[in-house]
Amino acid sequence: MTLAPHEHLEDHDRIPGTAPVDKARTRRPRNTPPWWFALPALLLFGFVVLVPSARGVYYAFTDWDGLDPHFSFVGLGNFADMFSDADAKQAIWHTLLIAVSITVVQNALGLALALGVNTAIKSRNVLRVFLFAPAVITPIVTAYLWRNLLGPEGAVNSLLGAVGLDGWRQDWLGSPRLALWAVVGVIVWQFAGYSMVIFLAGLQSVPKEIHEAAAMDGAGPARRFWSVTRPLLAPAFTINLMLSIIGGIKLFDQVYALTGGGPGHATDTISTLIYKDAFTLGEFGYSIALAVVLTIIVAVASTGQYLVLARNERAAS
Amino acid sequence: MKTRKPAALLAAVTATALLAACGGGTKAGGSAGESTTLTLASIDQGSVEDVVKAFEKANPGVTVRYTTSSADQYQQQIRTQLSSGTAPDVMSVWPGNGNPGATYVLAKPGYLRDLSDQPWAAKLPDAMKTVAQYEGKTYNAVFGQNGIGAVYHQQAMEKAGLTPPDTWTGLLEFCRAAKAKGTPAFALGNQDNWVTQLVLYALVATTVYGDDRDFDKKMRAGQATFAGSPWATALDKYLTMEKSGCFQKNPLGTTYEASQQLAATGRTLGIIQGNWVIALLKQKNPKATFTLKALPATDDPSGTIIPAAAGAGYAVNAKAKNEKLALKFVNFVMSPQGMNLFVKKQGGLPSLADTGYAVDPSLTEFSTFIKTDRTVPFMDQLWPNAKVQQTMLSGLQEIFSGQSTPDKLLKDMDADYQAGS
Repeated sequence: MTLAPHEHLEDHDRIPGTAPVDKARTRRPRNTPPWWFALPALLLFGFVVLVPSARGVYYAFTDWDGLDPHFSFVGLGNFADMFSDADAKQAIWHTLLIAVSITVVQNALGLALALGVNTAIKSRNVLRVFLFAPAVITPIVTAYLWRNLLGPEGAVNSLLGAVGLDGWRQDWLGSPRLALWAVVGVIVWQFAGYSMVIFLAGLQSVPKEIHEAAAMDGAGPARRFWSVTRPLLAPAFTINLMLSIIGGIKLFDQVYALTGGGPGHATDTISTLIYKDAFTLGEFGYSIALAVVLTIIVAVASTGQYLVLARNERAAS
Repeated sequence: MKTRKPAALLAAVTATALLAACGGGTKAGGSAGESTTLTLASIDQGSVEDVVKAFEKANPGVTVRYTTSSADQYQQQIRTQLSSGTAPDVMSVWPGNGNPGATYVLAKPGYLRDLSDQPWAAKLPDAMKTVAQYEGKTYNAVFGQNGIGAVYHQQAMEKAGLTPPDTWTGLLEFCRAAKAKGTPAFALGNQDNWVTQLVLYALVATTVYGDDRDFDKKMRAGQATFAGSPWATALDKYLTMEKSGCFQKNPLGTTYEASQQLAATGRTLGIIQGNWVIALLKQKNPKATFTLKALPATDDPSGTIIPAAAGAGYAVNAKAKNEKLALKFVNFVMSPQGMNLFVKKQGGLPSLADTGYAVDPSLTEFSTFIKTDRTVPFMDQLWPNAKVQQTMLSGLQEIFSGQSTPDKLLKDMDADYQAGS
């Protein structure tokens, strides 16, 4: 804990013998600002996000085509249609599959990279920049880049051919069996560095002394990771898992740019389906109903995950 | 307590400033409609620029503020702008029905101005009128027409010692010979799903409409369906072409862009595409010569038909801020000068007969087919909704990747067709 300069002064100026109660009292208002400080931000959030969203939800119960000012109320019809829509069911499945695999792979890789560049190796600063670099590129740009790299004549296949692995050459984005995993691979490639940075920040807040003490008590590297590092990384896990699961569920731009949801519907996610149904087919009502379902899935998944991880965090600290 | 007042004041000031900023924005937007400014949204990237320049030159003092975007992006943008009252004075609109930015779709809710009173409206050929009009009124200034066929790379063909086939049997032999020489016949960029339909359309034109010019009427009357019609024959031929090695490897992993690259550099002998691809191929390889030929689907060359259709044209916003100038622009597009400018740059053919347009040698065969009435409109232009086409596009990708069958696709298309508008 460092003290602000004037607090030092206060400490020095304190009349010996008086208790430091004063300090606590003068500091209180700064710790709990009045609630209406948040009012401008809340109002802005309300008008820009909440009100339009709530008004949008209304259309989920209509057959609006996005164009005609005349439309009718269809109750829960759009939601009922989802159960008979094979494309929607498939898209929900793909979304969950993508979200779970991204969350697992991206964070495992991010953690491994963070542990790697947190050691005393010489090039660690260069490596950190290098590994984080993909995360600062616009997703749509990386998607177009990979669309070319993964093409039948693209760099990935050429590289495989050059090292004698001709049998491994694939139609990465054209095969329904591989396309979904190619998408996951591209996203992990881009954002593993992002997870790494958050883990790295967590790792650097782990005091060296604790590690040294554990080492002196005879704990090996694995044991030290499990019993010292892991619990202290709990907040980093919480934020990383939250970000990747939310990002994974609402994934749109990378999928759309890489495969357009194809071949066929093999990589359609809820978001690409929302886009297609609304803007290509003009089924805005149905699309908004899908968006409402997506919102509920994100809310449930992230709240549930947060509750579990927060409990672990408390248990760890 | 002292600290609280400035904070409250600050909050109030911030809120006011924000509101003021919003208000200012709206005002700035409203002042755009001066009498010398025309707003335009276009999908004719690469050609509309020249037309705008010529229009501004012909009308001194006039400024055209325009945006260009790709088709799917544009369809989203224009619908949002129309429904929120912020659409430009003149906008690109597709002919007929069947896509979200098509004439019928936008004219029905009253977003487009009736252009029937303009001088060119009555002169449009009948085939154009069916797709430029909605309920008897003209809404779409269709300036050009496009065709789908096999575009051959002449030098690559000479090198391979092959000539364009004009029968179905000849086509398959051509494919085998090309493959044997190590250069596949046609590039196919099926990763972009709109590309999947082109070969099918080229085959359907002959197999379906060769014997039955009234197929569309029968479909509308419920007397015909996709399943069990010659559509199945065409689909089967499409797959036969794939099996005979007519296309390069992995069409589903190949983008439209990559397919152009293959055809432009002679790594395939040609590409089955719309005539618009010729300009793009020439950009990529200015030294090569490209020619559009009809794609044969039967062994009777005289029965071959080319899918040819009105390209996207321009419509005037029913609530145009500057209607006078908007009409002037549309009429300029439909004048010989505007039309020829557009068509030359795009590599198509003009929609009106009397423009004195000199046909590019690459399109001689296409032009002859139009003159002898051996064309049919693109199939989707008269379908009742956008879903039929979308089902076809993703279905074709599914067939190519073994996830679906031709029978299933045609049945799905029938179901969507019968769901109506």
